[in-house]
Amino acid sequence: MSDVILRSENLVKRFGITTAVDDVSLEFESGEIHGLIGENGSGKSTFCSMLCGIYPITGGRFLLEGKEFRARSQVEANRRGVSIIVQEMGTLPGLTVAENIFFGEEDKFMLGIVKNTGAMNREAQRLLDGYGFSRIVASKMIDNYSFEDRKLIEIVKATYFGPKVVAVDETTTALSQSGREELFTVMNRIKMGGKTVIFISHDLEEVIDHTDRISILRDGKLVGTVRSAQTSSSELKHLMVGRELGNRYYRTDYGMSVSDEVVLMVDDMSVPGEIRDISFRLHKGEILGIGGLSECGMHEAGKAIFGASYGRTGSVTLKDGYAVNSIPGAIRHSIAYASKDRDNESVVVADSIRDNICLPSLDDMSRHAFLSEKRLNGFAQKNAELMSVKMTGIDQYVSTLSGGNKQKVVLSRWLGKDSDILVLDSPTRGIDVKVKADIYALMSDLKARGKSIIMISEELQELLGMSDRILIMKNGRINGEFIRNRDLGEKDLITKMV
Amino acid sequence: MEKQGDTTALRMRTTSKYLRELMPLFGFIGIVAVFSILTGGKIIRPETLSLMFSQVYVLMIASMGVFMIMTVGGLDFSQGSILGLASIVFCWVSNYGIALGVAAAVAAGAAMGAFNGFFHVKFKIASFIVTICTMYFFRGLCKYITTNGPVPASTSVMMLNETWFKLLLAGIMLLLGFIVWHFTRFGYDLRAIGAGETAARFSGSRPDLKKFLVFTLSGAITGFASFINVIKVGSITGTAGSQLETQILIALVLGGMPISGGAKARFSNIIIGSLTYCVLEMSLPMVFPVPATQQLVKGIIFLIVVALTIDHESLRVIK
Repeated sequence: MSDVILRSENLVKRFGITTAVDDVSLEFESGEIHGLIGENGSGKSTFCSMLCGIYPITGGRFLLEGKEFRARSQVEANRRGVSIIVQEMGTLPGLTVAENIFFGEEDKFMLGIVKNTGAMNREAQRLLDGYGFSRIVASKMIDNYSFEDRKLIEIVKATYFGPKVVAVDETTTALSQSGREELFTVMNRIKMGGKTVIFISHDLEEVIDHTDRISILRDGKLVGTVRSAQTSSSELKHLMVGRELGNRYYRTDYGMSVSDEVVLMVDDMSVPGEIRDISFRLHKGEILGIGGLSECGMHEAGKAIFGASYGRTGSVTLKDGYAVNSIPGAIRHSIAYASKDRDNESVVVADSIRDNICLPSLDDMSRHAFLSEKRLNGFAQKNAELMSVKMTGIDQYVSTLSGGNKQKVVLSRWLGKDSDILVLDSPTRGIDVKVKADIYALMSDLKARGKSIIMISEELQELLGMSDRILIMKNGRINGEFIRNRDLGEKDLITKMV
Repeated sequence: MEKQGDTTALRMRTTSKYLRELMPLFGFIGIVAVFSILTGGKIIRPETLSLMFSQVYVLMIASMGVFMIMTVGGLDFSQGSILGLASIVFCWVSNYGIALGVAAAVAAGAAMGAFNGFFHVKFKIASFIVTICTMYFFRGLCKYITTNGPVPASTSVMMLNETWFKLLLAGIMLLLGFIVWHFTRFGYDLRAIGAGETAARFSGSRPDLKKFLVFTLSGAITGFASFINVIKVGSITGTAGSQLETQILIALVLGGMPISGGAKARFSNIIIGSLTYCVLEMSLPMVFPVPATQQLVKGIIFLIVVALTIDHESLRVIK
């Protein structure tokens, strides 16, 4: 048994009325990768945020190597040997890669009062090379790099100085398979060095494969800690949710025929630099999956169908002959869209749940161009309840909701709009198993009601489990098509992706 | 136990939310109270009040347009120049009929607003830069036109200088504005665009079109305000309406308008803000007779009032 390096004692965090972390006492050993799992809003991220000085602690304390540890900022936490790789973007735009890596540590490179940029760049490049990320140039602006590369830069930033504890918060959802492998290599190296990694992820298989022990949180409380080698994802799910999940996780029907009625025709759809000559038909009651690597153009394809792309050519036509060319036109003609970038493109976070649910349906609710507040309230309340959004009321701001609840608000608005064609881009990204199951059940239900769904996803299991038909995209083009069947596996899809 | 704690906390949070929303109102009451004492009750005498009201109409009406511009996250510094130029147009056309004059002033204001909106939206220039440029441009036109002396309005206009008439016009405008703001899609779109433009676009709110419209509407509203302005002053000089833009911005901030716009903008910001501003404008000369001291004190008071009443919460949440 190794030594305990970090311990939390009766840790508590409250945000107003909600208790996000409730009396959590946990031990982390040196030389271990410790998984932290739980549903959305179970307190995993909040726990790490307190450790790393992002949120102040409400009650209890951390002990690092036996001494009380309370950081007031991320920079202070770093200096004392604790760092974090956060869920959302943790790099600062407008700075170079090197400036990002050494943010808060500029003192090391000062010549009097002048920053020695050359030395900083050289040192950063040496680190990047050491991690095997030579393709990233330290002196370039961070804005030149993709979301994924910026995550890799964050990994360097959080680990180069040999911290005693590194928290990795939901980083893998932003990474492709190769990026994940690179992250796991770094995590293992930290572990081999006798240090500790706290690993947060929704992907239970991934957690089981890459951790030594796993602690489960539910509603802010610690449920228990298990050895990774002695557990299974079904046991973990059970511990997370507190009850057995029903068998309706994915669809179980096979061989059902889909209607021949075409509801949407996409012909030669192109967006400069993004997608080329996409053509397909969507049928009534069909769930059409679109998959591929993150940069294959499938996300842009979703936007283009919704009329949201700039410079789109080709045509998107509905069965009544209407050509979709703008977002308001798409919404009016019963197309719904949920973006992968939930916070920027799906919901107006600095606005109320009510306004978010009502926005696309305002025209339907107008009587002679006038809106009644009572009617809007009723509409929002009804649809929020339909999706069982966890909220204090429809006046609550969306910015205060967890990821899963935000997605529920997005779906509520389109259920309210009663759209016939739903384009769902990464509908379950960063969402816990319980809400995931709700979303899959909703999709099956919509299908049964004759609605058509285009589901764009990076998760192969989800594509295989839910789609009637799967299109695989590569380099902006459609590269393969698969019809739903029991024998289809991830390998079949991957061969068309890469 | 736990449950009880939760409800108490919830109640406290709701209370503090309402308190925050009411801060500008308390600010207004506080200022009236303080200056009533300092001036020995002079500012609440009927004759002072009627003088104050005669100043508040133009400000309140013109603030309405800028209020909507600020809601979508923009700013407008050209309102004073728009008022000046629209007033000149009104004076000219009023000789052919007052109603025609009003229509012409509204059209002129709308055209100037559309000019702002076009440059802001089409060339993607920040609205405060566009409007600073057009502030000089429109003001230049004003001065050019008035080189040979002030432009007088038709004499029949002066007969309309009745308090009830101006009060009625202001009331109608506010009511129309309130209806548009609260009971039409336009108001909802504006708040959503200010709170998150991209997400609003994906919800079908047409941000570019709405921004163009809001600048045009704001110009039109100020064009209408120029009618009341001319009723009050009779003839227009090259500096007519100057400083109106800053008065509007200060009034809105005093009224609790979030600087970055969005869903927390309240229609009451306009009314409370312009009243607070006018009370300060009226009272300061009574308490501090030297103009230089007035400016100085005005600056300090604005800072204090804004620091006390501003909603930090909304500044943090938005963008």
